[in-house]
Amino acid sequence: MALSRRDFLKASSAVAAALGLRSLGFLTEEALAAEGTPTVVWLQAQGCTGCSVSLLNSIYYTTIDKLLLNTLDMQYNSTVMAGAGSTAVNAANAAYAKGGYILAVEGAIPTASNGQYCTVWPGMTALAAVQKFAAKASCVLAVGTCASFGGVSAAGANPTGAKSVQAVVGTSKPLINVAGCPIHPDWLVGTIAYILKNGRAPALDSRRRPADYFRNTIHSACPYRNNSPIPPSSGHGGGAACTACHGSGAPTGAARLGQTGCMYPLGCKGPTTRGDCPTRKWNSAAAGAYGVNWCISAGAPCSGCTEPTFPGTGALYTLAAAAASGGAGGTASCSQCHSDGRSGVLPAGHPSIGGSGTGGTTTGTVNCRQCHSNGSTRGTLPKGHPSITRRRREEDDD
Amino acid sequence: MPQVIKVGPVTRVEGHLDIEVTVEAVNGRQQVVDAKSSGTMFRGFETMLVGRDPLDASQLTQRVCGVCPISHGMAASLALEAALGVTAPSNGRILRNLTLGANYIQSHVLHFYHLAAPDYLDTTGLLDMSPWTPRYVTSDMAKGSTAATFVDHYVKALEIRRKAHQMGAIFGAKMPASPTLVPGGATEPVTAARVTAFRALLTQMQAFINNVYIPDVLAVARLFPQYATLGKGSGNLLAYGVFDLNSAGSSKLLKRGTYTNGAFGQVNASLIKEYVKYSWYSVSNTGLNPSRGTTTAYPGKSGAYSWIKAPRYNDAVYEAGPLARMYVNGDYRKGISVIDRVAARALEAKKVADAMAGWLNELVPGAAVYAYKATPSNATGVGLTEAPRGALGHWLQIAGGKVSRYQIVTPTAWNASPMDDAGRHGPIEQALIGTPVADPNQPIELLRVVHSFDPCLSCSVHMSRPGDKARRMLVRV
Repeated sequence: MALSRRDFLKASSAVAAALGLRSLGFLTEEALAAEGTPTVVWLQAQGCTGCSVSLLNSIYYTTIDKLLLNTLDMQYNSTVMAGAGSTAVNAANAAYAKGGYILAVEGAIPTASNGQYCTVWPGMTALAAVQKFAAKASCVLAVGTCASFGGVSAAGANPTGAKSVQAVVGTSKPLINVAGCPIHPDWLVGTIAYILKNGRAPALDSRRRPADYFRNTIHSACPYRNNSPIPPSSGHGGGAACTACHGSGAPTGAARLGQTGCMYPLGCKGPTTRGDCPTRKWNSAAAGAYGVNWCISAGAPCSGCTEPTFPGTGALYTLAAAAASGGAGGTASCSQCHSDGRSGVLPAGHPSIGGSGTGGTTTGTVNCRQCHSNGSTRGTLPKGHPSITRRRREEDDD
Repeated sequence: MPQVIKVGPVTRVEGHLDIEVTVEAVNGRQQVVDAKSSGTMFRGFETMLVGRDPLDASQLTQRVCGVCPISHGMAASLALEAALGVTAPSNGRILRNLTLGANYIQSHVLHFYHLAAPDYLDTTGLLDMSPWTPRYVTSDMAKGSTAATFVDHYVKALEIRRKAHQMGAIFGAKMPASPTLVPGGATEPVTAARVTAFRALLTQMQAFINNVYIPDVLAVARLFPQYATLGKGSGNLLAYGVFDLNSAGSSKLLKRGTYTNGAFGQVNASLIKEYVKYSWYSVSNTGLNPSRGTTTAYPGKSGAYSWIKAPRYNDAVYEAGPLARMYVNGDYRKGISVIDRVAARALEAKKVADAMAGWLNELVPGAAVYAYKATPSNATGVGLTEAPRGALGHWLQIAGGKVSRYQIVTPTAWNASPMDDAGRHGPIEQALIGTPVADPNQPIELLRVVHSFDPCLSCSVHMSRPGDKARRMLVRV
């Protein structure tokens, strides 16, 4: 079978039309079958290749073979390319000489010891490579939470000085954080398709994530939420247990892993995590079809993997709801709201247990960004803030 | 005159690997006389886990490797279960095996068609575009209709491995990294509908393995018979065993054991030591069993050439992987070579897929998938299992309810390790030594040997330094 891009372009356009891809919202087959075949340079920095593997699972918009054969000119990608050694490096350098390529970076960038903790090829640190290739890129895709925010690679003591792509190259070039540990393939393929079709980056949220995929919290469409959809501007997205505000009308919480119910008591990060997992789900079976499963549906609490706070320092989840945390409704683990590693008995009046608190010690305990993604506030909570009074209040969350 | 040939990066592997070999004429044939395998990335994963909630290990260690995350989740869960004193109920054990098995199939298929096969094919006229061009093109590669068939199967295999992940997500929530593997079992309840959906996909996997994958491996074996005697390596094999068939783990689909100088033996984990003389770590880290192991990075350390430590068993060099598992288990004992590794991997995919079909029958819809036990303040635990690429161990120590020590020894640490303190080369290095190189500018033979191990580098890594012998001609390829 002889394959050419043109043959595949024709074939996949026909397939796309047959499948009605035109109806998939902002994406069209023209975008995926663009004649222009833009060049991509994909650098593996300090990660685990999980985002590349997830990309291989793409099918909702298109499959990886069609993407590579028909849509993109993937001139350098050490995981899939046939060439090796200097043959591979020369391909990357040829793309660099021409410029104007899409630069995709997977993994964080270790910056300590002059970047010696990761080299992409002999004599070229990931740090130097990302700086060099970003300079002549048309846009930069930070692929995954490590590239977007540091993620697992920058967690804990971070001995390698791992940083996000943005921290290394700034935003002088259009930079998109396709977050997720790993990415959902649709988040990346849909973003690329948007760029190809429109010649510019899609709308981004305050963390430079594509807003179409990261507009709402996981909680907002969680199957364990007991009401019809709560708009993200209603004050939800905070860290309190449902019972703190909803009393006996709240959903029944799971007391232990493996039990059915709201897993907020087990440390679920859904209220503070943005992504369309509840509707899109994962591991789609067919073009235009949503996935077959996802974390919460499978009885596993959301770990918050699309957020800058992932994986933080606190527990990702617990096997059983905390029993001794200050009385009725005391179900939250501190790490759900506090990122400073604290633990212990909740004080009376703490918002997560529904006490009639005065709001007393309100400074510095909540990281504003856990609820507010507009990147602004940090500091003393204003009187009447929902996290200290539990009073429902309209607030613009985005 | 000896030539130094450096291949960096070695592509079509997970992570960052460079190799450097010295080639000179031996009995009139240009062949490798010395080899260095360098992992060129370090993250400090083990350091990162210290001070965290122990339960996080089953989730976070899946981020060690995006190709074999389920194996890390399994190793961490086993280590935690040993520490907590709990075992998974039957349903939970089987669900984890099914999710792990799904990832074995996707990993083995991905390796053969997408990572290894391009070394054997001249796709000129078929795939004249990136990322398949530019590339080495050597006269011994399969061309014409054989190459065209493989290109078709390359595309088909992309679909099969995607469906393998879709299958894994049925009980694993999502792939590649699954949140459902936890100490005490799994989180996804068993329903008849899910079993049916799983079985439908598994049937497609079995058909592909039997009708396409295994015949294609046999075709490579027929076309490249010389590789059935090349790339032997250390000749010693190590398998921790995998796919527990009972809750105690005393019975496994692929059993635990060693193969040493032609004799089979038992595994004694206390005989494992990691050496760091040639790795970028502090010398205080050397010669320790992983239960006492430490990981102190020392970038730029003189004489070192890899971020991978050198694990040794009973102070000898052991290879891990599908061939080791199939050898120890008695399923495949034809030899140890490039072709034997590729063949054992394919036959293992069949064995695992067929076993999974049986495990589906053992699931009891509605029965418990998970057993709860509180995390103790102080405990230790070891989790020994197998990643698709070979023996994987996690060593956990809990103090004051937090992780106080975590050590991971990956299969690629065994296979791609640098020299140990006694100067013994690692298995890939040994397999490279003696390999003929026809064209130093296109050393395809080196890639075939390295790829047969299916290296997976991410928890290790490289600063390469040119050879120090001034007379050597340095050829960068």
